[in-house]
Amino acid sequence: MFLLPSLAVFAVFILYPLVESFVLSTHGSDIFGNSSRYVGFKHFRDLFSDSDFYKVLGTTAMFTVLTVLPGVLGALVLVLLMESRIRGIRIFRSAFALPFAFSAASASVIFAVIYNPAVGIANGMLAHVGAKPVGWLTDPKWVLLSVVVVQIWLTLGYNVLVLSAGVAAIPADIVEAARLDGAKGWRLHLSVIVPLLSPQLFFLTVVSTINSLQAFTAIRVLAPEGGPGGKAMTLVYAIYNKGFENGNSDLGTASAYAIVLLFIVLILTAIQFGVLERKVFYR
Amino acid sequence: MGRTLHGRSLRAAAGLLAAGVALTACSSSSSKGGSSGGSGSVPGADALDKASGVVNLTFWHSMKDTNQKAVTALVTAFNAAHQGKIHVTDTYEGTYDDAIAKYKTSVSTHTTPSIMQTYDVGTRFMVDSKQTIPVADLAAKDGYSLADLQPNIVNYYSIGGKLQSMPFNSSMPLLYINVEAFKKAGLDPANPPKTLDELADAAKKLTVKDAGGTTTQYGFGAADYGWFVEQLTAESGAPYCDNDNGRSARATKLNLESGAPLAYTKWWADLVKGGYAANTGRPTADAQAAFKAGKVAMNLESTGVLGGYVDAGSKAASPFTVATAPFPKSSASDTGGPVIGGASLWIDRAGHSDAEVRAAWEFAKFAASAPQQAAWHQATGYFPVSVAALQDPSDVAYRQQHPQFQTAIDELTATKPSTATAGCLLGVMPQARADLEQAMLNVATTGTTPEAALSDASSKIVKLISDYNSAVS
Repeated sequence: MFLLPSLAVFAVFILYPLVESFVLSTHGSDIFGNSSRYVGFKHFRDLFSDSDFYKVLGTTAMFTVLTVLPGVLGALVLVLLMESRIRGIRIFRSAFALPFAFSAASASVIFAVIYNPAVGIANGMLAHVGAKPVGWLTDPKWVLLSVVVVQIWLTLGYNVLVLSAGVAAIPADIVEAARLDGAKGWRLHLSVIVPLLSPQLFFLTVVSTINSLQAFTAIRVLAPEGGPGGKAMTLVYAIYNKGFENGNSDLGTASAYAIVLLFIVLILTAIQFGVLERKVFYR
Repeated sequence: MGRTLHGRSLRAAAGLLAAGVALTACSSSSSKGGSSGGSGSVPGADALDKASGVVNLTFWHSMKDTNQKAVTALVTAFNAAHQGKIHVTDTYEGTYDDAIAKYKTSVSTHTTPSIMQTYDVGTRFMVDSKQTIPVADLAAKDGYSLADLQPNIVNYYSIGGKLQSMPFNSSMPLLYINVEAFKKAGLDPANPPKTLDELADAAKKLTVKDAGGTTTQYGFGAADYGWFVEQLTAESGAPYCDNDNGRSARATKLNLESGAPLAYTKWWADLVKGGYAANTGRPTADAQAAFKAGKVAMNLESTGVLGGYVDAGSKAASPFTVATAPFPKSSASDTGGPVIGGASLWIDRAGHSDAEVRAAWEFAKFAASAPQQAAWHQATGYFPVSVAALQDPSDVAYRQQHPQFQTAIDELTATKPSTATAGCLLGVMPQARADLEQAMLNVATTGTTPEAALSDASSKIVKLISDYNSAVS
């Protein structure tokens, strides 16, 4: 009875779009994007026989690994460094958490200016040390990495916040006891603090993975249409590309991509819960 | 407390996020119900005369900044002239691509605007949408002459000999030159390069490196933009797509694998790889920024950027003068001219009353009239679609102040309307352009040969076209 409102919200905003996606993925689209005739699993057959689809999967995997690992580990290193009691550490803490407050769109636009091949600072700094300019967003070799950097920057703030809270929640007596047992410096960090942070690290890994699989804004701004050679075309971006970009209105194929993404996220999350979580130490 | 609760809540949070987020990822909107549209009958002038009260019109456009102000001025002037009879409300609907995406939705929900501004490459789609009424039909009904419109522009927007939409804002491609850079390199800005080969030679002379070997000025720099390839193809007198540029029947493929497209792809990749051309990628704004900053000495762009370039040149760290030259040709023997780009106004029929259609027709005629086009030209830098607008005293005075604009007029006057210069009609032109641009970038930045890249793009585009053609038939 009291569940009704939330069930209604669930039905309208989650269940209906989900069912609709399945329906769309089995239909063709007319030039306005309306579904036309029933085509069965044709879109999926086309996908699995399309070499571009596997390229997109590979890019998505690369993008996810390259953003999640450095994003979580980088935040961990920053948080551990911030444990040192030096003057002005609070300023650093706020500074590192700041990206969390940035909208992905504005941050991406700022990075677009930094990466600008002719007038951007990135190449300006390279020129300063005598290095050759790099086509950050125009060179197929670099574009994915350039977007990855922005995505890491965007997630770092949140990761730092969660881990800082985790560190703050570690009872002082445990650390005290470890110190009495002779643990200090990196040894203290690695053997005591990091295991105590494992619930937060697990949480961040799951959430970051999903975030990365869904990252859209940075790619939309920095590498429209997947950038040169489509090297930054991830699954989520492919959905948008097939459905809307360049006057496309192939919602059938776009929905097929969406269903594939759904299953990938489900499978990955199941694996993470099944395997990773066993190593988590819940206090 | 902590132990289990803390652990569980984190677990639950992660799980919920995973599920919720994954599910919503695949949500996509759809709307059912097609349009039974169709052109319908052609209403006569009496439909508007008989209308009681004010006829309200909606006008969707993609003009922003300076150009949006010019649209507002145009609409205000029209509303003032038709006080109590017609009122136009203009709305900026984002880029041409965004606007067409919204238009698609509006067709499904039967909420199309009265007047829609669509870019040249959207022409085939607009006809296929079966929502609009050809302006030629309205003109024929009234015995109204369309002879004042630039013949080359009419050529583009005509299908089956019938002008479909009212030309509104047009642009021509030009070669932009940094005069000071030319003089420093010992080149004559009054005698600019005319062919791609001459352009390459000049680019080599214009490329400047500092003591450390870093390039401080590239000889050439233009966006990786399919539009330029379309221009070069038209100048060589060849159709860009089959079936006479898609005008005798629906096009089925683009002619990318030989002629101007192949030549330009090779040429551009060689200049980029040789370090003589700055590769700023596909965004045109980035190539413009490079020219404005004096980082490149020669640039290809439309007439629309002239004002901004002249302004930036005078304000640059080391100020420079901007000169214009005709768009280069792929070979000296090419006799064709450029395709006229830009956008036009479409009058929606399906779901709109006769009075509304007539009112929209009044607005279209007003927007393309000589005095309005002269004002529009001076405010925006777009090419006037009205021949008489060029004789307008204010326009003559404007061109004396901006002599660089004369190049575009000479270029257009020298162009004989033909199948090649009419440009290619294709329902999937925006996508096809994107595929070509990806191929060109691929050649310029990797070891892929131009032949392989263009053949790959070509077969991708064939599939796009056949999907589109089967969706509309």
